[in-house]
Amino acid sequence: MKSIQQRLSLGLISILLVIGLLLGQTSLWLFDLGLRSYLQADLRDEAESLLVAMVRGPQGIQLNEQRLSAAFQRPFSGHYFRIDFADKTWRSRSLWDSEMQPASQPGLQDELGDGPQDQLLLTYRGDYQRFGQQLSVQVAQDYTPVLQSFRRVRQMGLGLGVAALLLILLLQRLTVSRALRPLEQVRQQIAQLQQGQRSELDSRVPRELEPLVAQINHLLAHTEDTLKRSRNALGNLGHALKTPLAVLVSLAGRDELQAYPELRASLLDSLQQIEQRLTRELGRARLAGEALPGSHFVCAEELPGLFATLAMIHNRGLHLDWQAAAGLRLPWDREDMLELLGNLLDNACKWASSQVRLRIECTAEGYQFKVEDDGPGIDAGQRAEVLNRGTRMDEQVAGHGLGLGIVRDIVDAWGGHLELMDSQLGGLCVQIQLPQPSLHKA
Amino acid sequence: MRLLLVEDHVPLADELLAGLSRHGYAVDWLADGRDALYQGASEPYDLIILDLGLPGTPGLQVLEHWRAGGLATPVLILTARGSWSERIEGLKAGADDYLSKPFHPEELQLRIQALLRRAHGLANQPQLQAAGLLLDESRQCVRRNGEEIDLTSAEFRLLRYFMLHAGQILSKSHLAEHLYDGETERDSNVIEVHVNHLRRKIGRKTIETRRGQGYRFSGEAV
Repeated sequence: MKSIQQRLSLGLISILLVIGLLLGQTSLWLFDLGLRSYLQADLRDEAESLLVAMVRGPQGIQLNEQRLSAAFQRPFSGHYFRIDFADKTWRSRSLWDSEMQPASQPGLQDELGDGPQDQLLLTYRGDYQRFGQQLSVQVAQDYTPVLQSFRRVRQMGLGLGVAALLLILLLQRLTVSRALRPLEQVRQQIAQLQQGQRSELDSRVPRELEPLVAQINHLLAHTEDTLKRSRNALGNLGHALKTPLAVLVSLAGRDELQAYPELRASLLDSLQQIEQRLTRELGRARLAGEALPGSHFVCAEELPGLFATLAMIHNRGLHLDWQAAAGLRLPWDREDMLELLGNLLDNACKWASSQVRLRIECTAEGYQFKVEDDGPGIDAGQRAEVLNRGTRMDEQVAGHGLGLGIVRDIVDAWGGHLELMDSQLGGLCVQIQLPQPSLHKA
Repeated sequence: MRLLLVEDHVPLADELLAGLSRHGYAVDWLADGRDALYQGASEPYDLIILDLGLPGTPGLQVLEHWRAGGLATPVLILTARGSWSERIEGLKAGADDYLSKPFHPEELQLRIQALLRRAHGLANQPQLQAAGLLLDESRQCVRRNGEEIDLTSAEFRLLRYFMLHAGQILSKSHLAEHLYDGETERDSNVIEVHVNHLRRKIGRKTIETRRGQGYRFSGEAV
């Protein structure tokens, strides 16, 4: 989509060009017309003065040389005449050796005639009767200087027009960018929203934008509210289902059932399946994914609490630490991010013998997370299996597979990539690449 | 050990009460947050098991009130809301451990034992030991130099309390408060009888009598 600025410039340029050219050409044409009719009067006067200069001499009609204008005497002066009688033709001396074409009709000629030395002639023909003879007087004036000055005026006009056009464009750009500044601000705020740097748009905008900004803010609030409500409802559902489940698990362990080990095992197995399925699906349903653009996760605020919780749960002197750039804000929902890191770190803590480390780095494409432990690790051959099925590798340490399952759900929802590697600490390293969430994604 | 269980789901509370009693704990049960708020702060409990979804006052608020009032009793949160953000909230409110429903009863017992040991500064012991005695809490017996000594339920409760408070002087009324729940009639003579039985099994000098003050688990091996 072209920008508004571009559209406005293009529209303005075409309008100004069409109008400017039309106006320039029309005014030149009108001026030319006026000038010709003014010159026509001159030429008629000259033709009449030629008529007056005719005298009856000894050899019939002749021109009185003294009464002729000097311009007719000087060769190629730009002023010429031709007088046609029935039997003979007189030409002005200024024509010298060239011929002037006779004009086709009386009055001012529409076309400019060819003259000597590439001159273009404005020609007037007058038909008269003198001394009983029919004669036509044709007077011409060189029009090239006028045409030249017209050309100069046109060039100057064109130059001035281009300069004016550029000036207008520049001013228009300034005006438009000033007028569109609120729109640009909104654009920047939406980008910030996407990067999680703000949670709503500034509502102090011009009247025209008010409905748009208000609607976006309303949608944001509505999405957040819906998410909160659905999470709360899911929590209630989980509570309602898991509490009786806890009763069932406890009942299955009763002494009365000790006598029926198969019944007991099958009960516990089914209960465990229900629990796993419930936890996984409720966890998946809780995910915000990319629904909420304003969400963000501030590492320095959230990670200490998470690590304190982990240290409390795994109270066996583990050395837990995290590294992230100062003031790092991740553009994802806080609860999703806590769930992702919590599960990864919880797994790492279950398997680690003394140390667990989290590193978050900004990369060119987005963010890279590394969770490392110094536990037994997973053989390279088994890693794909662990990832693909989210299976439990070891029944003794509960929930390893399940934790990775929800982690995979979250990473998939964000379009990221999960990989298991060897850690420098000696155990497993879970590496996650998350791309920067973008507005342009479909 | 006297525990407070705050859980509004009656069938689960029944199960937990039965399980905890089998493991030798004296348990008081409450189902309402407002009652818990008062009773948790006024009775001398050794540990509190708190459900978060309570009628009256929500569990987290109850916990925050307790901590604001200076209550130092370890609190184990029991909840179906197992998301990490909720766990962190629980910890910030002052919980000491977090167990999500559903859970295995053994898991709960292990967490309670670990929490009690931690609360008495014995964090790194996998089993409770003092004065050359090793207490097996799951089988409710005590071992000395590899020799196993059987205990009755009452003796086990008493010995566990002594071993967690080794070296401290404990009056009979203090022992009665911590070994019996709020509903049981407290008779200090019963304590005396149990102490005598215990002395006969693990040695006379292990538990001293301080006249007018009470008993002291000496921590000296016999």
